[in-house]
Amino acid sequence: MYPFSYVKAKSLKEAGEFLAAHPDAKLLAGGMTLIPTLKARLAQPSHLVDIGGLAELAGIKEGAGKLLIAGGTRHHEVATSDAVKKAIPALAYLANLIGDPQVRNRGTIGGSVANNDPAADYPAAVLGLGATVVTTRREIAAEDFFQGMFTTALAPGEIVVRLVFPVAKRAAYAKFPHPASGYAMAGVFVAETATGVRVAVTGAAPGVFRWKEAEAALGRNFNPAALAGLAVNADELNEDIHATREYRANLVAVMARRAVAQITGK
Amino acid sequence: MEHHLLEIGGVRMSRREDLRLITGAGKYASDWNLPGQLHATFLRADRAHANIVSVNTEAAEKHPGVVRVFTGEDAMRSGYTKPMTMLTFKGRGGMEVLRPERPVLAHGKVRCVGEPVAMVVAESALIAQDAAELIEVEYEELPVVIDPEAALAPGAPQLHDNVPGNVPFDFEAGDAGATEAAFAKAAHVTRLKLAVTRVAPNPMEPRACLVAYDAGTDMYTVHVHVQGVNMMRKQLAAYTGLPEEKFRIMAHDVGGAFGQRSLAYPEYCMQLLAAKQLGRPVKWIATRSEGFMTDSHGRANYVSGELALDKDGKFLGARLDWIADMGAYLTPTGPVSHLRNPSTCLTGVYRIPALYGRWRTVLTNTNPIAAYRGAGRPDVAYVIERLVSQAAADLKMDAAEIRRRNFIPPEAFPYKTPTGSTYENADLPGVLEKALKLADWNGFANRRRQSEKAGKLRGIGIATVIENTGAGLFPRDEVQIEVAAGGTVTAYTVSHSQGQGHETSFAMIVAETLGIAFERVQLRQGDEDHPLFGNHTGGSRSTVGAGSACHLAARKLIEEGRALAALELDAEPSQVEYANGSFRGGESKRTITLADLAKSRVFSVTAQGSFSSTFPNGCHIAEVEIDPDTGVTEIASYVTVDDCGRVINHTIVEGQMHGGVAQGAGQVFGEHVVYDRDSGQLMTGSFADYYMPRAGLVREITMEEHPTPSKVSPLGVKGMGESGCTASLPALTNAVLDALRPLGVQHLDMPLTPAKVWHAIQAARTKQ
Repeated sequence: MYPFSYVKAKSLKEAGEFLAAHPDAKLLAGGMTLIPTLKARLAQPSHLVDIGGLAELAGIKEGAGKLLIAGGTRHHEVATSDAVKKAIPALAYLANLIGDPQVRNRGTIGGSVANNDPAADYPAAVLGLGATVVTTRREIAAEDFFQGMFTTALAPGEIVVRLVFPVAKRAAYAKFPHPASGYAMAGVFVAETATGVRVAVTGAAPGVFRWKEAEAALGRNFNPAALAGLAVNADELNEDIHATREYRANLVAVMARRAVAQITGK
Repeated sequence: MEHHLLEIGGVRMSRREDLRLITGAGKYASDWNLPGQLHATFLRADRAHANIVSVNTEAAEKHPGVVRVFTGEDAMRSGYTKPMTMLTFKGRGGMEVLRPERPVLAHGKVRCVGEPVAMVVAESALIAQDAAELIEVEYEELPVVIDPEAALAPGAPQLHDNVPGNVPFDFEAGDAGATEAAFAKAAHVTRLKLAVTRVAPNPMEPRACLVAYDAGTDMYTVHVHVQGVNMMRKQLAAYTGLPEEKFRIMAHDVGGAFGQRSLAYPEYCMQLLAAKQLGRPVKWIATRSEGFMTDSHGRANYVSGELALDKDGKFLGARLDWIADMGAYLTPTGPVSHLRNPSTCLTGVYRIPALYGRWRTVLTNTNPIAAYRGAGRPDVAYVIERLVSQAAADLKMDAAEIRRRNFIPPEAFPYKTPTGSTYENADLPGVLEKALKLADWNGFANRRRQSEKAGKLRGIGIATVIENTGAGLFPRDEVQIEVAAGGTVTAYTVSHSQGQGHETSFAMIVAETLGIAFERVQLRQGDEDHPLFGNHTGGSRSTVGAGSACHLAARKLIEEGRALAALELDAEPSQVEYANGSFRGGESKRTITLADLAKSRVFSVTAQGSFSSTFPNGCHIAEVEIDPDTGVTEIASYVTVDDCGRVINHTIVEGQMHGGVAQGAGQVFGEHVVYDRDSGQLMTGSFADYYMPRAGLVREITMEEHPTPSKVSPLGVKGMGESGCTASLPALTNAVLDALRPLGVQHLDMPLTPAKVWHAIQAARTKQ
């Protein structure tokens, strides 16, 4: 770890101003990605601006067909929240699959979404449910927010305040964990929403994406069988020592089928 | 504690050291600190094979807080260039081992990623790390060879000038001519080319070392994790050329070893040099990344095996051609364990009349290989047991029946094998039948049908194995027992626990032999104030060696105590009785306790014994279920029946077995050190890429014992720390192949990852 200065922000406003004035400062929320990166000397921020305990970033609310989860909410809180379990049980289920108990008790939804790790679980839910990312400056639709591997629409100094999830009619998440890291090797979030069926895939490609063919097929017939014969293009997927592109393409199809089966019970 | 426990066949007792260890009260290598200590960090090679053109340390030396930067020049000046070898026997055609030099900091050339090139010593670890980044190394890249088979090819990159063809040692065992004749008359020959993959030991505790030098006594105090202080001392002396008696090795708790802790690493030797030259203690703690790169790796044997059978499935001969990847340098334990242990157990548990094995050790641009839980024994068991199950499949025989037909029968023990070893004893048919029953072998077809209905592929795999436990580098094991005036009895051993539970097992042996309460006995391991001769913990030898010596020392304590008590009781020693910690005799019928004897004198004995190998054996049966959609394998059931002689503490034996099976399962299903073929870069340098087994992999193990007591030990025990690993590699792999064989899959190499299994299923379906 390289030396850095620690700053505990008293408000989001203060944090944002500090970031604007210090281009090499970094936000610290749960630190579940940042701290290991620092320990490996892969990043050298001048300051860490701690927003982990801010009241503005705490809380889960449900109402008017929407579920609001503040950016500082820990994965464990999402996984065990009665409001989440009632409104979008698939989201609570997904949160409980992230990392391990230590990670789930430190990591935050805002941090995960802002980091946009291509194998993280939350981006699948955010995109799959068509959520809105509310920041200190604006509201960004999920489609516009995720821009590929570790890249988002966030401007320097812009902070994720909360996620607004429209409550879906039905939703499910099926994840195949990477054998070594436990991240998603393929995670598929399927949701039947007011605007139609949405299928979002994480882990398999350089960034979370919607599988439109599957959405169309499920829109016609919401049944695992509707996915028969459909496949994502393997050429666009990731490959590593644990999985070929072809294998990942297969996992996307299998996980999609299983997510639908979770919903339909077939 | 109840007495005569050993006689009634062991007890169940939790480990007394566990509370200390799991509540953070243990003292590990990095927990040692000394006033005025400096901190070291190593700059490591970022390429696998290159000439070092220059090392510029100027900026690093000027960095505030840096005390000194050492380079390969310092290593050469020190003469610390040749690690110890344990290859004391001759190879094929009388070959002597060609020992490559390994300066403790690379000089002239780097030969694998992670090799230390410079050492920065500074006032803090952070300063040292910062300064290391300021060192400029200019390299001239050389062609890289990662695959040992490729390293044997003509024109392959050469690693060391004194090792032509990259083969430092060529070894053979058995009778080539007789084996060829056996194959000539075979009705069937089964052939497999198998990879016993390279794995990283990953003990929980990272490497750490603190060295202090005292100019007044010219002594080095080395705080480091060990498997035994004597082994570490011998290797440090061999590497540095300093006398053994100059090293005081201090170690308390050791957080896992698996063979990796038995080595004196180059880093420790550099700390010796720095501590002396700088006059201050020097501390180093490795990161996990350094662990993946530089802690000795295990296995990495690539074997072509052939088994010749007659028409009834009787074995006629076997021939095994080994390519043993050694990495870029030879470690003291790597070559010897990868040749000697497999050659000792080359025949497995079978009567194979003609046997021949050849081992070529090969140098590659990879991290060096050393002993790793089983050290060649799991490797040979894997090859033999894969061949046997494949032969059964080829001949459409039952995998248990082919074993039954070829076992060394109980009456043939002690059994002299065609490669010159002598197995002490075993009841292989007894072990097998018990395991078959426990696993409901005959009910498998039914369970397979059930799985098929659920869309799953089910397989059953069996392995029957035997292994030699280590006799040890030292010809005898000493144990000292000292009685304190307060009544506490302390046993001192060289053998050093890395998680095996010695503090419980050995104390039980002493308490039982003396007939005193377990609570009164304590164990001290590797105590330099009580120097002893003897072996480190490794090769499943500790209870056989140190444990037996504990028993002998306790008996000796009674005899010496009897003589002392006789004087005080004014009686003949023969008339003094001993029971439960007290002597009684003479006309007065007075009682004198062990503690009484310690009140007016130092009451201490040292006993020793020489203990050869024991031969634990067993049968493991694994059943697996594969999801063809994802290639994920689940272990549906796992049965073990092991003969590890007489058991002292069933809880510890079961724990060792669980750990061994899980470690084997880890290797079968995912653990694998991977280097990039072209660049030699390590692809599995963290837990994000290197698979480690999780608790859910092995959910339940059904265990039974089938002891045939060993006469090697007065306790009747056999070693068993590695048995789980040895049997689980072939049992689990055979089970997966049994599940896939109906599709036409005949062979897969470890690791059997979901992706590999899925691809195999796809390929087989395409063919059909």
